[in-house]
Amino acid sequence: MTNPFEDPDGTFLVLRNGEGQYSLWPAFAEVPAGWTVAKAADTRAACVEYVETHWTDMRPRGLAEAMGG
Amino acid sequence: MTADHPPTGPAGAPGAEPKKPSLLQDVWPLSPLQQGLFFHARYADASADVYTAQAVIELRGALDAGALEAAAAALLRRHANLRAAFRQRKEGTPVQAILREVRTPWEEIDLTASPDADAEADRIADRERARPFDLGRPPLLRFVLLRLADDRHRLVFTNHHILLDGWSTPILQTELFALYLTRGDDSGLPRVTPYKNYLAWLSRQDRDAAERAWRDALAGVEEPTLVAPDAPEPPADAEPGRVRRELDPGLTAALTARARAHNVTLNTVLQLAWGLLLGRLTGRDDVTFGAAVSGRPPELPGVERMVGLFINTLPVRVRANPSDTVADALARLQAEQADLLPHHHVGLAGIHRLTGVGTLFDTMTVLENYPFDPEAAGAELGGLTLHGVGGYDASHYPLALAAVPGERLSLRLDHRTDLFTPDQAERVMDRLLRVLHAVAHEPDAPLARVDALSPDELRRLLADARGETAETVQTGETGERVPETITARFAARVKAHPDREALRTPDGGVTYGELDARANRLAHLLRARGVGRDTRVAMLLERSVDVAVATLAVLKAGGAYAPIHHSYPAERLRWAVREVGAPVLLVDETTRHRVAGLDTGAETVVIGVHPDLAGLPDTDPGADAHPDQLAYVMFTSGSTGLPKGTMVTHRNVVDLADDPAMRSGAHDRVLVHSPHAFDASTYELWVPLLAGGTAVVAPPGRVDADELQRLVKNEDVTGLFLTTALFNLVAEERPEAFAGLREVLTGGETGSAAAMRRVLAACPDTRLGHVYGPTEATAYATYADMRGVLADPAETTPVLGRPMAGMRMYVLDGALRPVPPGVTGEAYIAGSGLGRGYLDRPALTAERWVADPFGPPGSRMYRTGDLMRRREDGTLEYVDRVDSQVKIRGFRIELGEIQAALTALDDVAHAAVVVHEDGAAGGGAGVKRLVAYVVPAAGTDGLDRTDGLDTAALRRAVARRLPEYMVPSAFVVLDDLPLGPTGKLDRRALPVPDFAAAAAGRAPETPDEEALCAVFADVLGLDGVGADVSFFDLGGDSVTALRLVGRAKQAGIELTPRDVFTHQTVERIVRRAEDGSDADLAFRPLLPIRTTGTRPPLFLVHPAGGLAWGYMQFLAHLPADQPVYGLQSRVFTGAEPAEDVAAMAADYAALIRSVRPHGPYHLGGWSLGGLIAYETACRLQADGEEVGLLALIDSYHGQDLGSAERDVLPEVLGAIGMDPDAVVRDGVPDVPKIMELLAARADVLSTLGEDDLVRVFRAYQAGIRQAETYRPGTFRGDLLFFTALRDRPADMPAPAEHWGAVVAGRVTEHPVDAGHHALMEPAAVAVMGPVLAAELDVHHANLTDHQAGRTTR
Repeated sequence: MTNPFEDPDGTFLVLRNGEGQYSLWPAFAEVPAGWTVAKAADTRAACVEYVETHWTDMRPRGLAEAMGG
Repeated sequence: MTADHPPTGPAGAPGAEPKKPSLLQDVWPLSPLQQGLFFHARYADASADVYTAQAVIELRGALDAGALEAAAAALLRRHANLRAAFRQRKEGTPVQAILREVRTPWEEIDLTASPDADAEADRIADRERARPFDLGRPPLLRFVLLRLADDRHRLVFTNHHILLDGWSTPILQTELFALYLTRGDDSGLPRVTPYKNYLAWLSRQDRDAAERAWRDALAGVEEPTLVAPDAPEPPADAEPGRVRRELDPGLTAALTARARAHNVTLNTVLQLAWGLLLGRLTGRDDVTFGAAVSGRPPELPGVERMVGLFINTLPVRVRANPSDTVADALARLQAEQADLLPHHHVGLAGIHRLTGVGTLFDTMTVLENYPFDPEAAGAELGGLTLHGVGGYDASHYPLALAAVPGERLSLRLDHRTDLFTPDQAERVMDRLLRVLHAVAHEPDAPLARVDALSPDELRRLLADARGETAETVQTGETGERVPETITARFAARVKAHPDREALRTPDGGVTYGELDARANRLAHLLRARGVGRDTRVAMLLERSVDVAVATLAVLKAGGAYAPIHHSYPAERLRWAVREVGAPVLLVDETTRHRVAGLDTGAETVVIGVHPDLAGLPDTDPGADAHPDQLAYVMFTSGSTGLPKGTMVTHRNVVDLADDPAMRSGAHDRVLVHSPHAFDASTYELWVPLLAGGTAVVAPPGRVDADELQRLVKNEDVTGLFLTTALFNLVAEERPEAFAGLREVLTGGETGSAAAMRRVLAACPDTRLGHVYGPTEATAYATYADMRGVLADPAETTPVLGRPMAGMRMYVLDGALRPVPPGVTGEAYIAGSGLGRGYLDRPALTAERWVADPFGPPGSRMYRTGDLMRRREDGTLEYVDRVDSQVKIRGFRIELGEIQAALTALDDVAHAAVVVHEDGAAGGGAGVKRLVAYVVPAAGTDGLDRTDGLDTAALRRAVARRLPEYMVPSAFVVLDDLPLGPTGKLDRRALPVPDFAAAAAGRAPETPDEEALCAVFADVLGLDGVGADVSFFDLGGDSVTALRLVGRAKQAGIELTPRDVFTHQTVERIVRRAEDGSDADLAFRPLLPIRTTGTRPPLFLVHPAGGLAWGYMQFLAHLPADQPVYGLQSRVFTGAEPAEDVAAMAADYAALIRSVRPHGPYHLGGWSLGGLIAYETACRLQADGEEVGLLALIDSYHGQDLGSAERDVLPEVLGAIGMDPDAVVRDGVPDVPKIMELLAARADVLSTLGEDDLVRVFRAYQAGIRQAETYRPGTFRGDLLFFTALRDRPADMPAPAEHWGAVVAGRVTEHPVDAGHHALMEPAAVAVMGPVLAAELDVHHANLTDHQAGRTTR
């Protein structure tokens, strides 16, 4: 069984939740509630690259706000 | 017997002369399918011949039985292949011999008088089916005509499958009734196309092309698809259970329309549905099952009316990529099947051979569109009507789906009733219908969304995935809600009971109030150094109360603690401190020397002695924490070459402490003994401290069974956690050690139910909790109460139990759907313990912490990489890893990290690292060893360097980058890494390193040698050992030597440990009785440990006790051509102790030169031995000789060891594990008593005479004085130093500075996780041995380069 997140030839999305956390997501699966598509279907490498450049503060948003930014 | 089957016709008449034409008409080969059946039938149990087929036809109306018999005889005349006998030629080839004529096996039974004729008819049909056919006695078919009433008959036709397939039977029946009308005259029937034509067609087929096609079709299939992997042979007489369904016309039409729309056959639609269902039943997306094909080649004229065996069962592979649509999958399957159509003649056994997998499947499908309908044939038979009653065509598959097309597609699921209950089979059918429905109506849905499970089934699976609802609200004294932070919870405890004991050590206790005050002071100091919210503070601390103080202080300052693994080499230690971005590195008196001179970028603060501390306030600095703020960062191995830091929050820790399993009262006094950098420390510190309990801090170092038992008893410990390996060890050695505990927790690796049972039996009042969880989920995610689980004596699996409170544990397939019970999937953890992610690794975090489709909106789940399955009752079982993460001795290791370290080296092009697990030696668990396979880089000259790669240098280089437990035990150089068909590493093709090669040697020659060789092999876990190979070369050590003596005694061989140390090989041990001159060998000042080999010898000097026996254990780690000598005190040969180190060095230098007149010399020694070796090295240099290696094992000069007032006797006794009070009276040792105790323990020292034991004391006493007074001169060279990390006196100098001051070269330090006195124990030797070997290799390489340079110049 290939893990769907490890398929190098698969098509992926990048999802983002209310806390500003990112998730790689296989395009074939339904987008779970509470997540929005931050990056539309693309290669795995492109999605990984997207996360690497966009997720700069790994604190959940609620905490970052409580800490004053 | 021929009497049963006399041939028909005159030739068979009794008394006929043998002068007759041969009965043999022809000899044919067998088709591949016939061959398969021939072999199976011969090996199968004759009484359970699943290759017997039967058709039963009811005949209503007036019947002419004679005409029917004549028709049956005509069938046998027409079809030559029905008259075949199957035999094996002498050379093994089976053939079918066609006889000219055979008797018609015809029997008529009148049941008209029977009270229940129908039941009797059924019974006879059963009997017929059970009567086996003899393949050598044709014909392999039988007719029985049952007369139930004048106008009711039943024809039972039974045959062996090797003659006919299911398609042939109706053809034969049609002919039978045509011939009935003509009373056996076949002149009006079409000519028979003989089966021989098919055999001829077969011989013209391109077998190579067919094999290629099948090999391609199944490329990458590495394991069979089995719904019943452990199924036993089907029981005799087992008839399959059957579940039948008829689809409604609507769904039938929709499926037909779906097939037409995509230009595929109905068969393809059914096969895709079965493939998808099978994927769901097995948790896989690449499945194989069998399908019956007609096997009749369309290009063969008349093939559709032929009678014989054509039908074949062939593998169908369905690859259900979750992102493909139903339409894609149909098209792909149809195309793949079309490509295989010309190759349907290949036998299944041949295909199994091609794949190398063996049996590929245990389920099959068949679409039955047979060309005969008995009910439609009735009108022509002169009033006789035919009615199908039944038939029997046994399937030996656990599941087989038969489909009959029609207006309503009719499905039949045959199943083995010993494997599936009727309910389960019904459920399989329900799921199939759901898939068919989706395939019919949702052509554009990705396969991931085509689900076989009902919403109810899914709901149940998800309910099992949830732990109890977490009760997370805790209120303070006055009822206010306490925030979910460690600091707030702790503050509430301090307020509630400041005087309660928070920490306990052997030296006393620390109250909550005191701990709070001390942590507050340190917190102020940290805040002054910039530590605030989410700031990481690196820690490298020996276990003590200070660990708790510092950990709490970091949190109070607002920061997060980042404990560093003690086993990290210097380079990695520096990296780790920088990686967490720590402004401060906290160390203590013991660990400070390890970071001295390291460029960590952090300010090093030595806790306990920092001058600023005293002046700081003991009040809380007031840095309020948020529950989602970081509490700690812990490193775990990373596959890409560097560890990654897992971020865990305050809330995560509080949730663990709040779990009902942790609040049972069993974890009020918890033993703190795990390394701080392991997440077990989260449990050990915070579970008791956040609940008002006591953390009992064990003394530094690793605890063993003795220590554990002592601590549990003396400190009233109620709960503790042990890694699987340590738990198993204690379970074996001393299961009662846990008796005082309320609960022991264990986990980390696959546990042993046997070890758990032993502990449960020995400790009836102690609970045993099996816990599982990665660092990313905060220590523990599941819990199993093993006393309950193992109460069932049939239980052999150390199950993982259920998720802890507030946690969710999903087991999902490749399409992210929960797998049904019993099916293996990957475990995902969600809920309260879920950490924040990997520090500064956003992409890696987004890959592993992914959206949770089953949890609250926006929640995440962690992908563990652990394969698990869930039982029907919800209990989780661990299965395997999906990747190459392994656990060795409790350490989580990514093999990729080791591979990355290897390929980062210039000399290495490719590398693979695998775990090699040895068979169990002596009944214990197997030994896991890491083995590295390396392919050398070609180099600029393009030359092959396979022989030139220096594995010792590799080991050294890797040891500089990786912790000791990650350094492979063996390196194997290969030309290429073996790759499988898919281009992946073929692990099975990697050569097993020959750990046993050293065992080869001279075969034993005498019965004595033979017996002892067997004992050696047994103790060492080897298949055999040579008579002339040293016990220590084979991996023996001081512990196994004791076991050897015990086993030898059981085998009737008297042997002492000293014999083993002295003589080492079987040959010499056996000869020792004859050769009395060796008696004192063990006490010679120059002890020959290994005299063979071409390298410069290594001389190892005795410690204070005077004997060098312990060094023999190094043999197993050193190259085979490395000679080794020990130097021993002359007190054992009658001399007085030497005056000082210099005198001994002079003496030993002379001894050394007696076996090796000139250098280079390699020298080393433990404790005092190191000082003597150092002095000897200086002396040899002064004499103009070259010294190569100089290795000191925890030796220090000029220390005040208190020789004047020190009473060494108790010390020596204590060091060998004796209670001094018991054996010393009025300061005088009771030597006979000591000898008695030693003998009872089978201790090596027990082999000493009383006089010699006294000499050990004297040597020791002198040794302390000699060490105190020694003042070293300058050694011109590098120094290798092994530092004992445990029980280190606070005033012990840092070795690098201590020796750096006198040595002209470099001092290289290697830490050893052991106390000074335990350095000759096997575990410590196993750490030092490889380092010594590597250093010796370097010196040897330099030497040979040097010499080579000399000769060419």
